[in-house]
Amino acid sequence: MAITGVRTPPQVHRFPQSKYIDAVRWLPPLSPLSKLAVLAIYDTDADSPSLETHSISLPASLTPHSQWTPPTRISSLSTSHQSLVAASTLSGSLHVLSSAMQVLLSVDENSGFHVGPISGVDLTGSECVSVGEDGRVNLVSVIGGGEFKRVYDGNGLVGFNCVKWASPTEFVTGGFGYGLQWWDLRRAGSGGPVLQFKGNFGSQGKASGMIHSVDIHPSRKHTCLAGGSSGTVFAWDLRWQQQSIVLSGVGTGEAVTHSLSESEVWEVQYDCHTKSSNISSSRVLPAMFCSEDGILAVVEQGEEPFELLAEPCAINSFDIDPQNPSDVICSLEWESIAIVSRP
Amino acid sequence: MSGENQGGAIVPYSEEAKKPVVYPLRHGLKPPISRLGISWSRGNSLRVTVFRQPSEDSENEVGGKAVEVRLDGRDGEISDAQWRRIAYGSVSPFALLQSRKNSFASLSKISSTTSPFDAEWWEYVLEYSKDISSLLGNQTSTTQSLIEDPKEVLKDPEPSNLKAAWELMESFYADKLSQAWLPERLVDWLADYDSLFSSTQETVHSKLVDFQKDLVSLQVIEDEPKYWEVMSSALAVGWLDIVVKLLRLHGSYQLDQLGNRETENGLVEAVAVLISKMPRMRPELEAGKLGECFKAKPDFMKAWEKWRAQIAKLECSTFWIQCAHRQTQEGLRNMLQIMLGNTNNLCTLTCHWMELYIAHFLYIRPFTVGLESMYGLAQKCIQLKPMAASHRLMGLLIGILGENIEVVLAECSKGFGPWMVTHAIEVLTAGSHQADTLLHEERDNLGGISMEELHRLVYAQVLSSHPLTWQIAPIYLTSCIKQGMGLLEMLLYKQPVDHNQLLLKNLEICRLYELDSVSSNIMKIAGMYNWKHGKKGSGVYWLQQARDEARLNRIAQQMFDSVGRSISDENFRQWEGLIQLLGSEPKTAGGLEFLHNYRDFKKSLLQIRDGKTTDAARQAVESLISLMKNPCTPQRFWLPLLHDSLKLLNWEERPLLNVLQTNLLLNKLQELSIARLRPDFIEADLPPHALSSVRLALATNLGRTTLEEQ
Repeated sequence: MAITGVRTPPQVHRFPQSKYIDAVRWLPPLSPLSKLAVLAIYDTDADSPSLETHSISLPASLTPHSQWTPPTRISSLSTSHQSLVAASTLSGSLHVLSSAMQVLLSVDENSGFHVGPISGVDLTGSECVSVGEDGRVNLVSVIGGGEFKRVYDGNGLVGFNCVKWASPTEFVTGGFGYGLQWWDLRRAGSGGPVLQFKGNFGSQGKASGMIHSVDIHPSRKHTCLAGGSSGTVFAWDLRWQQQSIVLSGVGTGEAVTHSLSESEVWEVQYDCHTKSSNISSSRVLPAMFCSEDGILAVVEQGEEPFELLAEPCAINSFDIDPQNPSDVICSLEWESIAIVSRP
Repeated sequence: MSGENQGGAIVPYSEEAKKPVVYPLRHGLKPPISRLGISWSRGNSLRVTVFRQPSEDSENEVGGKAVEVRLDGRDGEISDAQWRRIAYGSVSPFALLQSRKNSFASLSKISSTTSPFDAEWWEYVLEYSKDISSLLGNQTSTTQSLIEDPKEVLKDPEPSNLKAAWELMESFYADKLSQAWLPERLVDWLADYDSLFSSTQETVHSKLVDFQKDLVSLQVIEDEPKYWEVMSSALAVGWLDIVVKLLRLHGSYQLDQLGNRETENGLVEAVAVLISKMPRMRPELEAGKLGECFKAKPDFMKAWEKWRAQIAKLECSTFWIQCAHRQTQEGLRNMLQIMLGNTNNLCTLTCHWMELYIAHFLYIRPFTVGLESMYGLAQKCIQLKPMAASHRLMGLLIGILGENIEVVLAECSKGFGPWMVTHAIEVLTAGSHQADTLLHEERDNLGGISMEELHRLVYAQVLSSHPLTWQIAPIYLTSCIKQGMGLLEMLLYKQPVDHNQLLLKNLEICRLYELDSVSSNIMKIAGMYNWKHGKKGSGVYWLQQARDEARLNRIAQQMFDSVGRSISDENFRQWEGLIQLLGSEPKTAGGLEFLHNYRDFKKSLLQIRDGKTTDAARQAVESLISLMKNPCTPQRFWLPLLHDSLKLLNWEERPLLNVLQTNLLLNKLQELSIARLRPDFIEADLPPHALSSVRLALATNLGRTTLEEQ
């Protein structure tokens, strides 16, 4: 076991925004002295959404950089290493922008792209995959000029909440009933996911739950990390498809020992800042999650979880800085941004 | 509405509401406008629908438009976003205080000797009050620059009326330690907030601000009469640090003049020293403030007498004759008069009653104690120097000094709104038993609830009306014993279900307050909403979560039709996802469980059609039997199922169903024939001879299988 007793508490900087923050993501910095983040903002009073980049220099300043007005409220946000931002909206359109908020590509909601809101997008390289509650899975190529390719149409019989690329041809989606689906574009002819998993963490009183977020580590694409209802964070290893490794949650399984949260886990990400004491390939890498009950914490298989933040309001999204993984940006329900700098 | 009518009002409304306010409508429609529709929208907004007169020549024109008009009921000082920030920030202190109150209450039940208002209780209240106060703006001392400008006498902290009001409440009710030195607390208070009165009238603060502007351009400062006037005014209200700072700008301090103005400089410095040595009846002073503090009254009285004697001595000194500079001589002696408590001087140098009041505390009646004498003095000052316009802070202060809890509450509500009343009640009840009984007494004219509950409910309504603050309303509603839970349920039902994230946040609140039936109803509403909007998967999910078997069964009947149609369709795979979602537990799937069996049945039939072997046929028969056995499979689907299975019943190689199975199916067919006689029976969309051909096939099969089994 690693030494978990003494941990220097992280530094937390808070930035009240006076507008609701739907999502946050880091972007590669413009200058070495400051950081850059993209915020999906919604002004409730004026009923106007916006996508803004802010440059951040700690400890104290968050300055708006550039901004763009999407047609409707942003539902999901994804950034790539090439400083591209993919934003999907509640009306069902998808937009790819540069970090200077120049629109490179838009897919209109009227083009038969999605029906209703897009619930998840993931951008990698030049490919963007989008999923919705309508059960559609679409691919958009950044260099393709607004054309999309339908991978699957669930006709509303299934719905997806989130999506994440595993490789240039494979991705994983998550949705209702703690369900995970593994897709392979090389075997797209079969017209559906290649593998499926349905979690059974039903605790007393609750029949099932949802997956809100999935993540895949680039070096271990066979393990999907997922987070959802009832504080559940688990890993699904494709090599042992029928079972899952529960990292946190209120499930009934005897393996569950720690649970920091009992409500919705809104986002999960592998945390490369926390060094695992055991790096065997059968162990799940450390993971970070944020929840409706205001917890931002790191969980690891077989270790005590630890909290980075315990807020009086929900933490709706977070992102670990890929350039400097000690820094985490999160959006809080009470119209503010918090930046956590770990020692 | 007249004043008498307001007597029966539950929530007092402000006088300003009487003045009509004009809100321009920007609908952009060409006249003529024929009709207007006005209805309440969310929160404080009105939805105005404007319709044009339909005319032939303008077909391309928009026929009407709906616009929202925000009725701005709040004071312009604090923006909506700031109000929300205050609302968010006050949740934790409020909740903490409530939980402490509850544990105190349970403790005092056990041992009747400890009253909740004893001992450390007020320390909790003070902690709460300080937490709330910190939300309302920065402390004045935090805005200090590193390099101090010698000519900058005033800092610019931009105080707010709300914070000023809260500090009054804190000094008088929450902070028990300050009770002994309330006059000095008011001196500090006015120093921080005098600028708030500048908008409606002249104040010492505004005089100083004006003078500071001139200060840079003044060459010989002591020749300027305004210099002496401003200093005297500042001295009268006790801003000693500013006075001393200004005195040190006196020309006689300049090195080149020090030689020939020695006596003059000595006098200036003597006055400055006397000012900075002024005895104060208070435990401590903020850094940078001047005076000598005394905690015990006898020490203070002794020091006070000594200080006054020193002033009197300087006043009679012979050095004044040697002071050549007339303005300096007059100005300094004026200041001495102020310190000696010359009523006329104080009255002319202060601008409104509060300033005069403070001057009285400082120089005339420094030993004032008790609210009664403070109130008497206030009345006297108001007569001497009334304010140019009424101010909400003054109303509150008079109410506090007059020890009238009802007036204090009304002033809080009228001047500062529901947030202020709700949170100030905590401080008020801690401050006096009288307030405690007044606020907690259940009143028949309020429908059996207490004043405290009423104000909390009003505030909760304000929170509920905004899409970003409704989530914190439950904290206040659950602290209302009588009507809180009912209103909370209504609030939860009112929230939209169209976005999962919002829906889940709503359900989370249900979970926290153990409102299981509300939660299950909301899930049912969400389920039906999604089902109707074509999101069948999420519809089924929510109905499953709600364990709503009745609706799942009805959905199952609808589903059967569409599943039945898609048999030949390659897209049958799309059902896989839904079937996966349903899981294997029959309880949670309700009537939808047939989907499992039906999927297997159809799959096997497809294989048969594709020319697969008898094995597939056997599987198909097994699925068919379990479908027919399952009580969830609706009766009206029996015949279509059997009709689909005709090929199985007439299997060429050998009969696939044994006697028992065939009998089961025949019985079902018989049941069906009887059911057909009922008027509400719905005929399946099948060829007319379907029933007879199934019956024939079953009979044939029975014959064959009986033969085989023998």
